[in-house]
Amino acid sequence: MVQTRRVFVTGMGVVSSLGLGRRAFWQALLAGKSGASKIELFDPGSIGRDIACEIKGFRARDFLTAAEARRAGRCSQFALAAARMAVEDAGIMPKDLRGERTAVVMGTTMGEVDVISELQSGWIHHGEDAVERPKLPRYGTTLLPLHLARAFGATGITQTLPAACAAGNYAIGFAADQIRAGRADVAITGASEIIEKLQFAGFVRLGAVAPERCQPFDKNRRGLLVGEGAGILVIESEEHAVRRGATILAEVGGYGLACDAHHITRPHPEGDGSVHAMRRAIESSGITPDDVDFVNAHGTGTDANDKVEAFVMGKVFGGRRVPLSSMKSMIGHCMGAASALEAVACVETVLTGIYPPTMGYETPDPDCAVDVVANAPREGKHDVVLNNALAFGGYDAVLAFAKPGVLPETVGSR
Amino acid sequence: MIPMAITGFGVVSPIGIGHDEFMAAVNDAEGSKRRAFTSKSTVLPPETFPDARVAEALNFDAVKHLGDKGLRNFDRLTKMMIVAGKLALEDAGVKKNGEYIALKPEQVGIISSTAYGSLEAITELNLVAELEDPRYINPARFPNTVINAAAGYVSIWENLRAPNVTIVDGNCGALDAILSCETHLAHGRADAFLIGGGEALSEPLYRAFRMLGVVCEGDATWEPGDSHSNGMRLGEGAAYMLVERMDEALARGARLRGVLAGYGTAFDAPESEAVLVHPSIDAVTRAVRAAVKDAGIQPSDVDAVVASASGIERFDAAELMGLSRGLREDVLIAAPKAMLGETFGAHGALGMACALAWLEGAEPSPVLSGRARDRINHVVVTTTGYYGNVSAAVLRRAS
Repeated sequence: MVQTRRVFVTGMGVVSSLGLGRRAFWQALLAGKSGASKIELFDPGSIGRDIACEIKGFRARDFLTAAEARRAGRCSQFALAAARMAVEDAGIMPKDLRGERTAVVMGTTMGEVDVISELQSGWIHHGEDAVERPKLPRYGTTLLPLHLARAFGATGITQTLPAACAAGNYAIGFAADQIRAGRADVAITGASEIIEKLQFAGFVRLGAVAPERCQPFDKNRRGLLVGEGAGILVIESEEHAVRRGATILAEVGGYGLACDAHHITRPHPEGDGSVHAMRRAIESSGITPDDVDFVNAHGTGTDANDKVEAFVMGKVFGGRRVPLSSMKSMIGHCMGAASALEAVACVETVLTGIYPPTMGYETPDPDCAVDVVANAPREGKHDVVLNNALAFGGYDAVLAFAKPGVLPETVGSR
Repeated sequence: MIPMAITGFGVVSPIGIGHDEFMAAVNDAEGSKRRAFTSKSTVLPPETFPDARVAEALNFDAVKHLGDKGLRNFDRLTKMMIVAGKLALEDAGVKKNGEYIALKPEQVGIISSTAYGSLEAITELNLVAELEDPRYINPARFPNTVINAAAGYVSIWENLRAPNVTIVDGNCGALDAILSCETHLAHGRADAFLIGGGEALSEPLYRAFRMLGVVCEGDATWEPGDSHSNGMRLGEGAAYMLVERMDEALARGARLRGVLAGYGTAFDAPESEAVLVHPSIDAVTRAVRAAVKDAGIQPSDVDAVVASASGIERFDAAELMGLSRGLREDVLIAAPKAMLGETFGAHGALGMACALAWLEGAEPSPVLSGRARDRINHVVVTTTGYYGNVSAAVLRRAS
């Protein structure tokens, strides 16, 4: 057991297909709005699918300086915009972010993949001379946290955790670990992802993409919709937050990680790693499964994921049907950013007691015997919520959020 | 930092595969350098890159280590990482003939660095999409475009069910794995981790750095750490250490190859808003000081440094200046990239492997500056990123 400090969420920022900023995002989720639309980022042509939860009308210059916009690819632009919103939401002074005591930990799946695709396209069609050399250094995925650290004057821990579709949970959990261990006082953390032609086509080729809508846990679900966005949290030690008089939104609870070691894209059929990760998140929060009020599901809308996730819920919670919901029915699967955006919603649930809906849930699936918050938001107990994520590579990551004062002092010690 | 024991070591590199070959090669740095860069590349087409001089793991044959089943969709990086991980688990006495003989799958995880691990797959599939049709993208190869895929395959191959973490921190990732390792061990999320990483040579990677004008080709002067060097030469490889909590390693009677004693990291943004790529003396100084402090030693206790110097003059100069400020002016600094080439996200891992070799008695080489001591007890390893990020680690002789 390690000595720990409490960690609180004090600010959040969102770039999503449902809107910019945590309030617009949350209101759209509660209204059951869909971020799905025809793809405009590229010509989907013969790919076979043309709907995605694309962010339209994002203007980097609304949030970034001209130099920042030039230096950053679209993925980093999302991240930096969301981070600025989060910092403003936290009401934190620039002096409180400058220096070595601020960590920046970011998740993603493919980072600035559009940069390399654009450069390569130039090379393929027009030769090496057509490649814009000054753009080459912008590809580094490590730049995600560095752009943010530079913007806020942070000079300590910077890390990119490309944990595929569980990257948000990986990043927030690891950042909280660093604060608990006393290596940082505050962290800017979350994840960012963009839609890119290659990755869109890849998901279609895997047979994972639905034609029009994503219906998690529904018997007739046909797959996921690809999405994009960024969710960023400002998290702080209790001492730091209290000292500056911050408004505390929620406490970051424990988290659990595991690896299925089964298949590179498919979850373990009995959710071995996922069960372990969820139990660890509960245990390391210092609570029992009976204390969990709501689960923000991974809920991709694919046959395999939803079935396994429902199975895992049964294994962890036994006969108690803990309400769960998948926002991917509205914002699509934002891959690396998915669990970061879901973390934002978890915090909103902790604050408001409202569970966001799973839209498109029409026909219960006997293989998914779970209490789905179907088609309309639901009010409920909101002391502790879990954010569940699974990912390529067999990654499983679960993160807990709680009302301040609910979790025991030992939270995060194991 | 909690005391962490390095109990196993596995490597795939241009100068040797496995502990014994690698240690012997490090002890013969001049010979290794000569051999590593005289052979022709099989990865880079000679008609396209006639002047390429790279350190390629030419003797690496994945089938020899893994058999010929199940490798079809693995890229070069994945194969190197699986073999390095396998060798480390065997060296640590954790697995033998594919079976666990110590610890259990749920107790062992992996924390792996790569900087450009998915670049080859991304560019390969982009080529299919651009020249043919996105419909022809091979779904079995698509997962390789995801950066954590290679580490995911290591977990599958070796049945590692504790956390699997991939870190992409440019050149610094493999040392940043130390922080992740300590964090997860301290929280009991695993009892042992393979930590390290890999980077594979590929045509797009070479082409990109060549276009940036930082690759030294042909017979132009190439001396990492020397002001007359004309850029860097690329290499490849993968290395993992098996790292356990010291008390648990001792309890299971594990052989100690070394101790992970300290870690430090720093980021320093450039002064000019127009600049993205820049070396930072300040970040080097702060990172090594933090690592030394974390290890509970004094700068004067550091016997040698595995530098990150690659041959890009302005980065090498900043690193050497930062080291002299952060440690002391006469500390022995060597640049193993002279025999390994630049391996980006894998350098920290291969650098730690060199540090272990020095702690086991190999002579630090090639030396850039400083004086050798009779006995090496503490080695600092540095990794300098291209964007002002630097990480450092302290490895200590196991007493």
